[in-house]
Amino acid sequence: MKTGFLSDSKRLIKALIMVIVLVGLFVLPNVANQYTTMLVMLICMYIGLGQMWNLLAGYAGLVSLGQQLYIGIGGYALAVLSNYYNIPILIGLVVGGLVSVGLSVALSFLLLRMKGMYFAVATWITAEAFIVIFAGWTYMGSGNGLFIKAVRGMPTSTIYYYSLIVAILTIFIVVFLLRSKLGLGLIAIRDNDSAAETSGVTIFRTKLYCMMISSFLTSIIGGLFYMSQVWVQPYAAFAINWTIAGMFIVVIGGIGTVAGPILGAVIYVILNQYLSQFGGISMIILGVIAIVVILFAPKGIIGSLQNRFGFEILSARRDANKNFMGMQIQETSENTEQ
Amino acid sequence: MDALLQSLIQGVLLGGLYALIGIGMSLIFGIVKLTNLAHGDFLILASYISYSVVAATGMNPFVSLIVVIPVMFAIGYIVQNTMLNRVISKGAEPPLLVTFGISIVIQNLLLYYYTADARNLRSPIATKSIIITDGIRIPYIYLIGFLVGIIVIVALGFYFRHTYQGKAIKAAADDREVAQLMGVNIKSIYGIAMGISMTTAAIAGVLVGMIYNFYPTSGSAYLVIAFAVVVIGGMGSTYGTLAAGILFGLAQVMGAHFFGASAQLLTGYVVLLIMLIFRPQGLFQR
Repeated sequence: MKTGFLSDSKRLIKALIMVIVLVGLFVLPNVANQYTTMLVMLICMYIGLGQMWNLLAGYAGLVSLGQQLYIGIGGYALAVLSNYYNIPILIGLVVGGLVSVGLSVALSFLLLRMKGMYFAVATWITAEAFIVIFAGWTYMGSGNGLFIKAVRGMPTSTIYYYSLIVAILTIFIVVFLLRSKLGLGLIAIRDNDSAAETSGVTIFRTKLYCMMISSFLTSIIGGLFYMSQVWVQPYAAFAINWTIAGMFIVVIGGIGTVAGPILGAVIYVILNQYLSQFGGISMIILGVIAIVVILFAPKGIIGSLQNRFGFEILSARRDANKNFMGMQIQETSENTEQ
Repeated sequence: MDALLQSLIQGVLLGGLYALIGIGMSLIFGIVKLTNLAHGDFLILASYISYSVVAATGMNPFVSLIVVIPVMFAIGYIVQNTMLNRVISKGAEPPLLVTFGISIVIQNLLLYYYTADARNLRSPIATKSIIITDGIRIPYIYLIGFLVGIIVIVALGFYFRHTYQGKAIKAAADDREVAQLMGVNIKSIYGIAMGISMTTAAIAGVLVGMIYNFYPTSGSAYLVIAFAVVVIGGMGSTYGTLAAGILFGLAQVMGAHFFGASAQLLTGYVVLLIMLIFRPQGLFQR
């Protein structure tokens, strides 16, 4: 066992680093130029997107290819509510989130009957169907989509702060959720679903809660993204590219880890920005990296580092014996035995 | 009345092509127990390879198959042996993610080399039809697609029933461990199975290119068709796939006939979703 002093000081350092990072992020728009602010804003949005895909794919065992459904709903809710009803932006975001939750509950009764690739393809087809529906819906601007008048001229820093808060929120929700009873249920289901069910975990309800949380926050991220884009259009809003991004971010960073999507989002956004002038090159590189990661380091960058050093940056585990590193000690000793 | 009959004929003919699009995916699902989310993109890759061959040599797209088939077979064999064989035993998610990754890489490679412009493999035959009455005509190219689809499926059925290699593949699909004990090299068998799957994708890709325009991102549309055919027909069933292709083709064309052209896509999605929700084991499975 490690001494209390050591784990306390490690904990202190960790807390200190987090505070410094957070303060840095909150003052960023005042000290950095607009381009950097926008870059970090995008990273924040993609962190949220990644965390929410990870919640489904990494913890609940639901590989969704349909997260773009909620991105689109978030964008369109904002456009419709602010354009047609003059409803304030923030309320529009939340209402969009609630609509998405309602939709995800309705869909869950159908989709959660499926597993594995059936679920994956069904979520994707559902989102594709929404493209066709929205592209033919005059009220929604048909194929041209809608222009969100209310957000025109909104400073980047405002959207930046919203995005930052949402990114932090998604991280805290995931950590909190996984340490709660729901998280225990999730891990039990992931490891052995029939054993979990006989031990009293209600699989449907546990997965449903994950779908609801994920759809709500993904929809808010969609709203935020279209606040910065000003124009929501069906082929882009419901495009599978959103889920591709989420998947890359999570797989490269580390599926089933909390820190993974953060690192993944940083890599994704920066790679995309630097390679944007070369057509699809960034997607080719990201795709190859993702395949290589799944083949040779299935736990991603963060997961592999954690295995090697037995150190978890943002732990989703419960404190064992009031020791923050309690669970890791076992793993490290297992590794040294091999 | 003529219009309805015309739609019916078109739906059935389209169905043969759909079956051909789906058969490769069905094979891989049945034998390797793998959902190849890149199947549609491989198909479009074949269309582009054919396009390049035709552009370089001026030969008929059909003749280009003598180049496209070996290339696609090799790609399938290599992809299976270097990537997919490593992950098929690791649960449901890793294989799904790898094939999805491959799909994205293919799409963007095509986008990079061929740009986003529409391409096609039109040949003079594309515009000719057999005229039956004033309102009813059968386009040759659809008829060819239908016949080729049936020929390929019957050939595959013969291959799996009557050749040593085909039987070995079937055996590997039925019981992996016993087949291994009987001296079947599973990994190599899977590679060959993927090669065969890619062969069907190559033929389908060339036919599709002769009928429709294609883009680097067209693959996902064909993945939907392949997936629908596989789900309706029941995973891994050869003749079920043929029936499913015709059913799905009819469903789409009827959707377009009754609700307008824009409903064709949506009808397809709805049929697929209903199948996934209520009868994922397929119509013809007991």
